Amino acid sequence: MSEPLLVLDNVAKNYGAIEALKGISFSIGKGEVVALLGDNGAGKSTLVKIIAGGLEPTSGRMLFEGKEFLAKSPAEAKAAGIETVYQDLSLCTNVDVVANFFMGREITKKFLGVPVLDEPAMEQVVEKALASAGTRIPSLRTNVEHLSGGQRQAIELNRFVHFGGKLVLLDEPFAALGVEQTRRGLDMIRQVASQGIGVVIITHIMQQAFQVADRIVVIRQGVVAGDVARNKTSPDAVINMITGETLVGAGPAG
Amino acid sequence: MNPRTRHALEFVLDNLVWFMLVFVLVVFSISIPNYFQLGIFANIIEASSVLGVMSIGLALVIITGHMDLSVESVAALGAMAVGILFCSAGIGLGVQLDPEWLMVPVSLFIALAVGGIIGVINGYLVVKVKMSAFIITLASYIWVRGLVLVISGGRSAQDLAPAIRWFGIQRLLGLPLTAWIAIACFVVFSLIMAKTPFGRHLVMIGGNETATFRAGIRVNRNLVIAFVLAGAIAGLAGWVLAIRTSGATANLGVGLLFNAFAAVVIGGVSLKGGVGTLPGVYAGVLLLSAINTAINLMGLPANFTQVIHGLLVLAAVLLDAFKQTIRQRLA
Repeated sequence: MSEPLLVLDNVAKNYGAIEALKGISFSIGKGEVVALLGDNGAGKSTLVKIIAGGLEPTSGRMLFEGKEFLAKSPAEAKAAGIETVYQDLSLCTNVDVVANFFMGREITKKFLGVPVLDEPAMEQVVEKALASAGTRIPSLRTNVEHLSGGQRQAIELNRFVHFGGKLVLLDEPFAALGVEQTRRGLDMIRQVASQGIGVVIITHIMQQAFQVADRIVVIRQGVVAGDVARNKTSPDAVINMITGETLVGAGPAG
Repeated sequence: MNPRTRHALEFVLDNLVWFMLVFVLVVFSISIPNYFQLGIFANIIEASSVLGVMSIGLALVIITGHMDLSVESVAALGAMAVGILFCSAGIGLGVQLDPEWLMVPVSLFIALAVGGIIGVINGYLVVKVKMSAFIITLASYIWVRGLVLVISGGRSAQDLAPAIRWFGIQRLLGLPLTAWIAIACFVVFSLIMAKTPFGRHLVMIGGNETATFRAGIRVNRNLVIAFVLAGAIAGLAGWVLAIRTSGATANLGVGLLFNAFAAVVIGGVSLKGGVGTLPGVYAGVLLLSAINTAINLMGLPANFTQVIHGLLVLAAVLLDAFKQTIRQRLA
């Protein structure tokens, strides 16, 4: 396996007496695609939020590029190079495509010392990014509220491809996409990974996991129930891990 | 629909208040004798300067998806602070500074600081204690007005120092400087909202706070700044109010809040947040002022003003819903 990018060491999260995560340990390598599977309520989204800085873990530690890492806010995680695409879309529907694409990272130029939005430059970048991904949106100046679910998700996916970073977390990214767009999305993930970026993708669809992932990690009841290379397992074996009928193939990180 | 008509239609929708303003001015000019005079139009702008400044702060906070009910009381407190210090009659202390012009920046600073401090309190409570902005600023609306009563003892200050008063008397192109201050504020804050990342972030926070937080925008910091700006701008409105009335009374500016709300809503700002522009708000302010002037000229009892303002707000909200349906058809 390649050099580890992110290592999770016994990460746990309690909500009062409820243990959402009992202690999760696994790692993600550079350029590796890890599919995170598990039943509803297994704790997948909680885990993603902890890595992305939206939640603080109750205990445990994380190493990012070999250094102790804990993001107190999404801004810190972003600064460290972690991009996240959330399950419920994170777009501001009251502004246009360009504004959403650059949310929080606007290109500016100085005018009398004051940062001013450089709209033409931003529009150009978005146009290029969307065109290369084959996404068609009639006008980049339309407010997102007037776009379809698929178009919205395309904006988010293209955003992470463009900004890249070092690690990308995708929480059910294809929920609103059609067949063709999903295929393109999966291609995008492979393309991103080939640049040496680590990818964690949460999905419910076994077929997607087997199509795109190098390794499959199964979470069940707040612990890692399986951590296997894709080519050494089968969908049936993974389903058994998810439902808890077997612990074959289970093992620690690495 | 071809792109050009679509473009034109969108332009009309985006600037609907301005068209309404022009329409109202034309109708009044035709139907009311003596309405069509430069002096009347100058008066409309002049009379709206305090309301205009105050509406900017209110609009900023509403666009971020929050609420500031305290702007009226904050303006009164700012005016009272300036009045007590720099008035020579009533409860005024008649503080003199040498040279005289120094009183302008000092009084302005005091008004802005008073407003800013209350903005910090509002913002801190909303962001850190996570209480509803409506409740917190309602409380501020009450206690700040109480503070005005306490420090004035219910009495008034008159005869503002001439050096400060100069802003209300000196005219440029037929308008007193106080009106130019309001116009300048609208220009500056319109540019901030439309052209800077800060303004863009405020609009996006109003649209989807969670999304902006996840995108790494410092939501809390931006919100506090918005509340501080609203407070300081309200303080500025108080400063202008003190100049226009040449002093301050304990009940100065009572009722302005509701006019400011009316102007903001008529100007196309959605109370749900995330929607609206400041030029629209200025058009809303001018529209209210134009109607007030018409009521005066027609010799209607002033009591009608409230009825008409209320109906206007209703019309604005209905119009907003109508605009939404048209927009959906366009998309």
